[in-house]
Amino acid sequence: MAVKEKVFQYPETIKADFIQTGGLRFSDGSEVSAEEIWQFLTVEAPRRFPHAFDASANSIGRLSDDVHFFAGLKRAYLTLTMKDRLFKAHDNGVPIVMIQGGQTLDPYYAAGGIPLRPGYVMQWARDVQEGLNLRQLDAAGLEILEKGRRKISIEACNQVAAHAAVANNIVPVDLIAPYLCLRCSDMSFLVETHRYKEDQRPKYLVDFPINQTGKHYTSDYVAEQLRGLVKEIAKLSKKEVTDETLRREIQRQNKARRLAQEIIELWWSAEQPPLNSTDFFSIPFLANDFVGDPEATIQVLTETKKEVAYRVEHGIKGTGVADKAKRVFVCGSCVGPNATSVERAGAVLVGRDDNFSCNSVLVKEDGDPYRNLAEAILSFPYELPTEQRADWTAEMVKKSRADGVLFMYNWGCNYQTSVGRMISDIVKEKTGKPSTFVEVGELGRTEATEQSENRVEAFIEMI
Amino acid sequence: MSSSVTTAVKAATLDKIRQALQDRPAQIAAAKQRGQKVIGWLNYFVPEEILLALDAVPIRVGTGGDEQLVDIGARYISTKNCVFVRSVVGLLGEKKDAYTPLLDLLAVDASCLQVFRLAEVVKYYFKYETAILGVPRSFAAPEGREYFRQELRSFTAELEKFTGRQLTEAKLNSAIELLAKIREALRYLYEYQAQDYANLSWREVFEIVHAGFYLDRAEYLKLLQELLAELKTLPVDKNKIPGLQPRVFLTGSQLSPGDVKLINIIEDLGGQIIGDDLWTGLSSYLDIQVAAPTVDALADGYLARVPHAALPYLDISTDSRIKKLKELLQKFRAQAVIDHTLRYCDPYTFKAGETKDILNNAGFPFLEIHTEYASSDIEAIRTRVEAFLELVRTRNDVAGGI
Ligand code: SF4
Repeated sequence: MAVKEKVFQYPETIKADFIQTGGLRFSDGSEVSAEEIWQFLTVEAPRRFPHAFDASANSIGRLSDDVHFFAGLKRAYLTLTMKDRLFKAHDNGVPIVMIQGGQTLDPYYAAGGIPLRPGYVMQWARDVQEGLNLRQLDAAGLEILEKGRRKISIEACNQVAAHAAVANNIVPVDLIAPYLCLRCSDMSFLVETHRYKEDQRPKYLVDFPINQTGKHYTSDYVAEQLRGLVKEIAKLSKKEVTDETLRREIQRQNKARRLAQEIIELWWSAEQPPLNSTDFFSIPFLANDFVGDPEATIQVLTETKKEVAYRVEHGIKGTGVADKAKRVFVCGSCVGPNATSVERAGAVLVGRDDNFSCNSVLVKEDGDPYRNLAEAILSFPYELPTEQRADWTAEMVKKSRADGVLFMYNWGCNYQTSVGRMISDIVKEKTGKPSTFVEVGELGRTEATEQSENRVEAFIEMI
Repeated sequence: MSSSVTTAVKAATLDKIRQALQDRPAQIAAAKQRGQKVIGWLNYFVPEEILLALDAVPIRVGTGGDEQLVDIGARYISTKNCVFVRSVVGLLGEKKDAYTPLLDLLAVDASCLQVFRLAEVVKYYFKYETAILGVPRSFAAPEGREYFRQELRSFTAELEKFTGRQLTEAKLNSAIELLAKIREALRYLYEYQAQDYANLSWREVFEIVHAGFYLDRAEYLKLLQELLAELKTLPVDKNKIPGLQPRVFLTGSQLSPGDVKLINIIEDLGGQIIGDDLWTGLSSYLDIQVAAPTVDALADGYLARVPHAALPYLDISTDSRIKKLKELLQKFRAQAVIDHTLRYCDPYTFKAGETKDILNNAGFPFLEIHTEYASSDIEAIRTRVEAFLELVRTRNDVAGGI
C-alpha cells in the first residue's frame, strides 16, 4: 500500500517547559543537557533517522504523539542515540553481548558488558546506514532477515535476522551469551549456528532448566551458570567482578524493576489511562532493557513515575487514547500489536505478559547474589509451567481491567504458540474475557503490517 | 509394505516378533489387572531402566505418517509445532490405537522442548498424569551433570510414589543388564543388515526396533537372541549382486512407526537404505555405558550419549553427534546421505545446511528432504530422490562401484 509520508515533529511550544526538566547522566559519567536533547530530537535525529519521524499510522515503531509527556521525549532520545552509544562503548573496549528477551540483565552490566536483545541488535543493524526512510529501513531489515533465513531456515522466527546481523558483522557483537529456554526454543539453535564458518566469536549459554519449581538444585545449577557468564564477560571487559559488584548492580536494577511496578500500578489505578499505549508499553521495556544504559534509563523511569502520578491526580489522559477506550491485554511471544492502530480502533493496551513478567520479581539483595538472581529468574511467571503461568496471566487481566486478551505470536515461534490455546482457555475460564490469536507473518516489518492489524482491529470491534 | 529391498531368505523369527506385537496389548491389559503401571514415554532421556526396575510396563509413545492425527493434534497444540508432536497430541487425544488407552502415566523429558509442551497440553486437555524430567542444555558442564543427577533422582522418587514400588539396587541392576543386552543385539542387527549378503534388510531391522517400543523387554530380548541365532543358520543369498543399489544413509528428524513415505520412495527408486542415526532407529541404542546400578550412574550414562540435536553444542570440532555420524557413514559404507527433516522440527532443520556442508566436504552426496505427513509432496520428493540417486549411481560408476 502506498503510504503518504507524514512527518512527526516536536513542537517548539513545548521547548521551554521541556528544558526545565534537566538533562540525563550516563553510566560512563558523561552528561547531556536538556537543550542538547532538544537539539538532537528536533534537528539531528530527523536528519539522521528520518524513518523514526514517519508519522504514518502504520509505522509500528513510530514516536509517541504525547509530546507533553517529557520523560517520553527522553526515552526517544535514548532510543535514537543507542547506535552512537554502542559504537562508542565498543570502541572503548566495552563488550557488546547478544542475549535474548526476558532475562535479567544484572550479571551483564555487573561484568562490564552491554547486553542487547535481538530486537535492539536489529535496530542497531538497520540504523548503521543513516538517512533511511521507513520503506528503506524495512528493506534493509528484510535483506538481513533473508540472509539469516537462507543460511538457517525459513522456519525460524525473526530473531534469525539479529543472528544474521551478527554473523555478517553488520554490527560488532563481541559475545553471544543468552539464557536458553526462557521463552524461546529457537534461541539455542540460533546460537549454535554461529559455530560454523564464523570467526572465533565467543559464545556462552546460560541454561534455564525447565521443570524448575520447588527444587533447590535448579537454583544451584543456574547460579553456577551465571558465575560462568560473569567470568566470560569479565574476560572481555577486563573488569574485576566481586560479589559486591553484582550486589550493587542488583540493587540498581531492582530500582528499575520497582519503578516499573509502581508506574504500572499507578497507570492501572487511573480512571483514564494517563499514558497512551506506546508510552505505557515502553515502561517495562525500559526497566528490563535499559537501551544500553541503566543509569540514564532509571532517571527516565523516575521522571516517568512523577509525570504519571501528576496525570493520575489531575485526571489527564494520554494523547491518542479514546474516551472509554476498550482495554486489551497482550499475551504471547515477543511481538506486539501496532499501538497506534489499536488506539485508532478505540482501544488501549493495558498489559503484556512477557515484559510485565520480568519486572514482577525483585531480586533479593543480601546473601549470595548469584543464587538470588537464579531464584528470581526461576520464578518469573511467564516461564513457569503453563498452568501456573496462565493463572498469573488471568490475575494480570483482572488487575488491568482488560476487556479482551490478544494472543499474538511470530511466524516460526513454536514454543509459545504451542500453549497459546491452553493459556487463552484458562484465562477465559478464570476471567470470562474473550481472546483471539493473531499470527504475525510480516516478520521484521515496520510498515505493511495490515494483515495482523486488521485482525487486531476486528477483535477490538468484537469486544 | 512396499519395498524393492527384500531379502530372499526370510528369517522366521521376524514373524514371531510380528505375532508377539499382535498379542501385546492384551498382555499389557492383563499386567494392568495385576497392578502394574503402564508408563508411556517420549523424547530422549527417559531411562527405561528405571521404569522396568519399578515393575512398570514401559511403552515408547509415538506415531507418524497420519495426517488426520496431525489435524486433530493441531486443535490443541499449534500448527507451528512439528508434525510428530501434533500427531502424538492427536493420538493421545483420540485414544483409538491399541496402546494409548492403556497408559497410566506419560513420562517426558525436556530435551526437545516441543515435546515438553506436548506433555503440558495433553495433561491439561486430556487429563494425562505426567512426569517431567528436566534435561540440562549445558550438558557437558559439571553443574549440568550434577543438575541432571538430581533431576533424575527427583523423577525417580516421583515414579516410586506413582507406582508404589521402591527402587532396589538388584532390580535396577537387572534392568540395566537387560537393556544393555537389547542394545547390543540391535547394534549387531544393524551391522548385519549392512553386509552384502544379509538376510535381513534395514527396513526389517527398523521394524524390529519399533516392535521393541511395545514388547515386554525380557521377551523382546529372547526374540532378538533367537533371531540372531537363526541368522547364523540361514544360507547366504547367492542371487544378490552387491553394489547395484546406491547405499543410502538416513539422518535427521525421527521417522516414527507409520511414517514410511520417504522410506517407500527411496526403496521404490532403487536406493538401499543401509543405516541411520535416527532417534527412532539406531541412535538410541548407541553408546550408553552405565557404570553402576545407581540412579546417578544412569544419569551420567544417558547424558554422555551422543547428544540429541535439541541440545546445543557450541564447538563444532568436538561435536560428538557429527563425529558419530561420520563414523557410522564409514562403518555402513554409505554412499549417500538423505537428511530427513520434519516441518517445524527446529533441532534438525536448523542444522541441515551445516550438516550438508560438512558431509559434502567429507565426500558424501547429501540431500535434504523437508517434509511432513501430508501426501501432497510425494511426487516432488520422488523427483528429487530420483535425481539424487541417479547422481549417486553416476558417481559410483565413475568410481567403479564399491
Ligand atoms: S526433535 Fe524434531 S521431530 Fe523430534 S519432537 Fe522435536 S521437533 Fe519434533
